Amino acid sequence: MSKNKLFGLFVCLILTGQAHADQAQLQRGAHVAVEVCNGCHTLKYIKYSDFFKLGFTKKDVDAMRGDKPLDSPLLSQMDPQSELSMFGIVPPDLSLMAKAREGGAHYIYEMITGFYTDSKGQTANRVFPGIKMPDILMVSQADAAGKQAIDAKAKDVSAFLEWASDPQAEERITLGKYVIGYFVVLTVLLYFLKKKIWKRLG
Amino acid sequence: MMSKIIAWVDQRFPLTSFVKHELTEYPTPRNLSYWWGFGFLAGFVLVIQIVTGIFLAMHYKPDSKLAFDSIQHIMREVNYGWLIRYLHSTGASAFFAVIYTHMARTLYYGSYRRPRELLWWTGQGLLLLMMATAFMGYLLPWGQMSYWGAQVITSLFKATPVYGEQIVTWLRGGFTVDDPTLTRFFSLHYLFPFLIFGAVIVHLVALHTVRSSNPSGINLADKDNIPFHPYFTVKDLFGLGIFMIIYMLIVFFKPDFFIEAANNIPANPMQTPAHIVPEWYFLPFYAILRSVPDLAGGVVAMAISVLIFAAMPYLDRSRITGGARYRPVYRAMFYIFVINIFVLGYVGAHPPTGTLKTVGEISTMIYFMTFLLLPFISRWEEKFVLAKGLPPAVEEMARKEIAEAEGNV
Repeated sequence: MSKNKLFGLFVCLILTGQAHADQAQLQRGAHVAVEVCNGCHTLKYIKYSDFFKLGFTKKDVDAMRGDKPLDSPLLSQMDPQSELSMFGIVPPDLSLMAKAREGGAHYIYEMITGFYTDSKGQTANRVFPGIKMPDILMVSQADAAGKQAIDAKAKDVSAFLEWASDPQAEERITLGKYVIGYFVVLTVLLYFLKKKIWKRLG
Repeated sequence: MMSKIIAWVDQRFPLTSFVKHELTEYPTPRNLSYWWGFGFLAGFVLVIQIVTGIFLAMHYKPDSKLAFDSIQHIMREVNYGWLIRYLHSTGASAFFAVIYTHMARTLYYGSYRRPRELLWWTGQGLLLLMMATAFMGYLLPWGQMSYWGAQVITSLFKATPVYGEQIVTWLRGGFTVDDPTLTRFFSLHYLFPFLIFGAVIVHLVALHTVRSSNPSGINLADKDNIPFHPYFTVKDLFGLGIFMIIYMLIVFFKPDFFIEAANNIPANPMQTPAHIVPEWYFLPFYAILRSVPDLAGGVVAMAISVLIFAAMPYLDRSRITGGARYRPVYRAMFYIFVINIFVLGYVGAHPPTGTLKTVGEISTMIYFMTFLLLPFISRWEEKFVLAKGLPPAVEEMARKEIAEAEGNV
């Protein structure tokens, strides 16, 4: 339990709401995930049909899935064996990544934009030293204008991965507001009922 | 019609007299504060855990190859599966929060004192069962923290003399935590809540024999007792409302608060996580374990740190009732103990290096010293408080108890 999480709890207790990525951003992020990440990474808990939840049309989804069935999970384009021999590691599944790292989506954003060229001319990562993933968005070679575009892409895909790790979040929060409302009203009523009943004792 | 049915039942089963005796006419001290409502809350959370657990078990697969995925199946595909799972995972923490408060109230008001020793000991048994249940339940998601937590805790049994290795293998069903461990933990995790339920009934029978303690510490006369229903049913329900608001805030808005990030990575026997941390409710005891340099010593210290509560009726030798209320020194010790528990919890959550290691060692000393000094301090304090003066009813009770004890010698 980090300080971040504690702070988050306090904020939530005050606001009982959480900031949410808008659908357009999630759609852009989904494109990055399918076109870039999915080249090497699997997202086994996300199916192509799940994209309908993000407001994609059948046509959009068909374009994304190619010849794969609609209920197929987003399996990596490469097979794990060749990945292992190429990178020395099977790239981890991304569908829960935003939950599996302290810092969640923010961590993912920092990691994919954390590539730089070190003094020896090698590409390194300031968030994850020794990472085996290549600088896929070419952050370390981009100029200022390029960096800005990459930054936006990184934010989109991080937001998408957060959604992928917890697709029920929106439903949960909407329902949660009613549940809390219900219990607040009930508790207030119980308070007055308690006062009324205890009055009999004088 | 209804009264006819009840009359029929009453001839064959003491239904009406039971309800009267244990609920509608059950005499309860009217001065019980909200601190006395936590036992009811604990019972309520137990029911939540059992009900949500039964539904989770319908969709969960206790197989090391399927377990992790089946949790995601529950989260994503089962209707309101996410809700059932978050109620259950948050419920575990809620259960401990409620029980620890319940215990703190008992310690503060000296409710463990004569004649409530057995009541207190059944509670101690319940705590042990609950810890075992929570520990085994934590393995079931088969995440990295699940796996390595179970690996570390089961390996503690290596400290058993002579048969250490065999016991560890026997517990795990193999040389490491693996599929046999998962299936047996699942089986026992389903069984134990029902043992807890049975033990709760024993706890309640003991409670209804000795009746509730109360904040004044005085054995209240009949005039101060009120029927449990409707007075305490409504008071407990209001307390439940407050509890539910807090519980639901976490379930709906911060459900991952009590779930370690590393537990969203499937268990990998080849890769140890950077820090293996138990759940928050075990942290103080874990800190004690690590503060003793020797494994066997640490395990024994940890076991004693949980079991020592049972000795409270004997460690506390003061005859002054009402616990901390009339006893300034005991009150100070109580607060030091509580603060120290939080310090130990903090230490348990972080790697034991440098200053933190020293802090852990000092806190462990303080933890045990509070208990070990109590027999001496409580007697000294008794003299001091009696000399200083007490409310007449409390003083009378104390003097009577002292005279009785001396008469017996």
